[in-house]
Amino acid sequence: MNILFVMKHRGNAGNTHAVADYMRVAPKFGHHVAIFGPTLPWLPEINFSDQVRGFDKAVYLFESEIYRLSPVRETMLIGGIARKDRMILDMDGMYNPVVCLDGYDRNHDTEEERAAWIEHYHALADRVHKPTLAPPATPRDVPLTFYGYDPALETDPKTAPEKIYDILHVGHNWWRGRDIENILLPVVDKNRRKIGRICFIGLWWDKAPTEPGSGNPLAFAFGSEAFRRLDIETRDSVMYDKVVHAMSQARINIFTQRPVLHHLRHLTLKYFEIFYADTIPLLVLDADHAADVYGPAARELILSAERAEERIMDALARPERYREIVQDVRRHLAKHHGYELRMQELAAALKN
Amino acid sequence: MKLLLVTSCDPWTRSVSTIHHYVAAGRALGHDVALYGPPNADLPGLPTTTDLDGVDLALFVIQVPGDFPQMPHLARLIDTIPREKRAVVDLWGRYNETIFIEHDFNHLEKLDSHPGWEWEEALRAASGTILQPTLSPLRPDVGSFLFHAFAPDAVVQPETSAEKAAARWCDSERWFGVAYVGSNWQRWEQVRDFFKAHAPVRKEVGWAGLIGWDWKERPEWAIQQGIVGIDTDPELLLSMDVTVKGGVRFDEIFRYLNQSKFAPVFHRPLFRHLNFVTGRSFETFHADTVPLLMLPRSFVEAIYGPAALALVPGEDIAGYLTKALKEPEPIWNAVIKTRAHLAAHHSYARRFEELAALAARRAR
Repeated sequence: MNILFVMKHRGNAGNTHAVADYMRVAPKFGHHVAIFGPTLPWLPEINFSDQVRGFDKAVYLFESEIYRLSPVRETMLIGGIARKDRMILDMDGMYNPVVCLDGYDRNHDTEEERAAWIEHYHALADRVHKPTLAPPATPRDVPLTFYGYDPALETDPKTAPEKIYDILHVGHNWWRGRDIENILLPVVDKNRRKIGRICFIGLWWDKAPTEPGSGNPLAFAFGSEAFRRLDIETRDSVMYDKVVHAMSQARINIFTQRPVLHHLRHLTLKYFEIFYADTIPLLVLDADHAADVYGPAARELILSAERAEERIMDALARPERYREIVQDVRRHLAKHHGYELRMQELAAALKN
Repeated sequence: MKLLLVTSCDPWTRSVSTIHHYVAAGRALGHDVALYGPPNADLPGLPTTTDLDGVDLALFVIQVPGDFPQMPHLARLIDTIPREKRAVVDLWGRYNETIFIEHDFNHLEKLDSHPGWEWEEALRAASGTILQPTLSPLRPDVGSFLFHAFAPDAVVQPETSAEKAAARWCDSERWFGVAYVGSNWQRWEQVRDFFKAHAPVRKEVGWAGLIGWDWKERPEWAIQQGIVGIDTDPELLLSMDVTVKGGVRFDEIFRYLNQSKFAPVFHRPLFRHLNFVTGRSFETFHADTVPLLMLPRSFVEAIYGPAALALVPGEDIAGYLTKALKEPEPIWNAVIKTRAHLAAHHSYARRFEELAALAARRAR
């Protein structure tokens, strides 16, 4: 099967990395995976192709904006790959009723915006696949975990980079500010002298984007003054192939997920990627949901507002205990979320 | 026949006039013709539809990238209308090898970001039937369909007598002796040479008018992108007393053509090379003016008929203009005969017959 992903590709975003993982695994199963577009010299490991005729399946991967191509290229694709051979992956929960959590994170700003998405999806394909653990809400919904775990990518502690941070967060400030303010910052405020360097790698932690069309300003809302007061560093985002190395520079990595995706029980690449790093992931997740993904051991890694201080300080004080928990989770991930399994699931979904 | 025209429609440019003629002629002939897509706010009188039931033929009318529908309309169209009921008329010669002729071209990636192969792939993806507005397509897998046509009912001043037509024409007061209505796109040299030839006789023939976008100055975007062929020389035009006016809507063109004694028909170098017709090739004969066919004689004879050769000025444009004013009857005789030829061979009714035959062939 020759599978062409049609998506906005960004070297510093998770979905590009996930598709790169499929590219790596696909040949073992006789498949070939590429992203639609011309080859980019700065992403040499990523297969790109604009030769639609060489592909028999198209996977349209959408994030939080409708990805549009020039009508010429859109026609090459739509006319070249039949409807039955097209799949939609709805990564950011756009194929749902309007969900707005506490007036903060939401999948759509308005019903009209949602209607435009629905119209687009229904025109494109018969089914909408979602990387979620939630049961399907409509006959068109099809859960497809999509993201996976490859034990070969786990970082060997012997070759891991030096730990220069105590706490690190890798991810953009896109609807994540509130979790950080409510859960992490109070702990840091109270214990700053006991904690070493803290860093946030990613966009928009120090300032919101100013470009027009950047999205809802609430998504970037964050009191960055607290970072200055608490001596928390910020660094630019890193390319997808440098994420695990960056995470491995810290004793603890904080995992956050934007609230609306958490609410919809969507998975993201970061769920798995963080366990490749030589670090202790502490998870800002619902404990039952985390157990469903990672197995029961993950309950020991949950970072909740009520017990955040205890968890962080304990992880810093007793890293060996937490390393054992991480190993338990890794074993669970290898068993239940391997990319070989994911590749077969994707191929089966495309065949159906 | 239920004919769906798939294209963008802009009241200022490209094939908007021809599209309107298809709608009107289709209605008169009992066909159902509409433009695919949502209503066009700039053209509220143009029927549009997204209803794909019972479509006999979806004709993609392609010039620029925006002529392909946007999503979600594109997928609905392609997934609903079977391939055999779709055809493409490739009005700008995209479905050819890349051609550079003089400064003109059929593909230019820096202008629209599409190399030639992408155009070919997109057109082939839209349909297995590719047509071009020429009697002699370069490629064997391309069919001939001129698309543009002549509408006898649209002739502003129908004439049957050359004598009467010539007399009326000579007596009429007009703004211009010669006027060209068309935007600045790859035709500057032809326009310049024509007005240069006219300038010495302008007091005798009448003033010159140049109506269209970007004749007053070379547009900034062309300078920035280094696109040649959109040239002009305001000082030269001023020195020749040429009245320059900006673009006009398609439904105002005749206001200017009818106010000129003569109206040249120019084809951009690419279209001359490909022997393509344009909307103006036929539409100029609707106007109350003498069309001057600034085109190769063999092309003129093939499209317009032998009488039209009298409307080809040849090398001595000034001599032709002054002689036509002195002896207008033969010229009007040629105009009348050419209109009759166009009505017989290139009417919209004829085009509908060709489309119906195409749809029937494809359905078999």
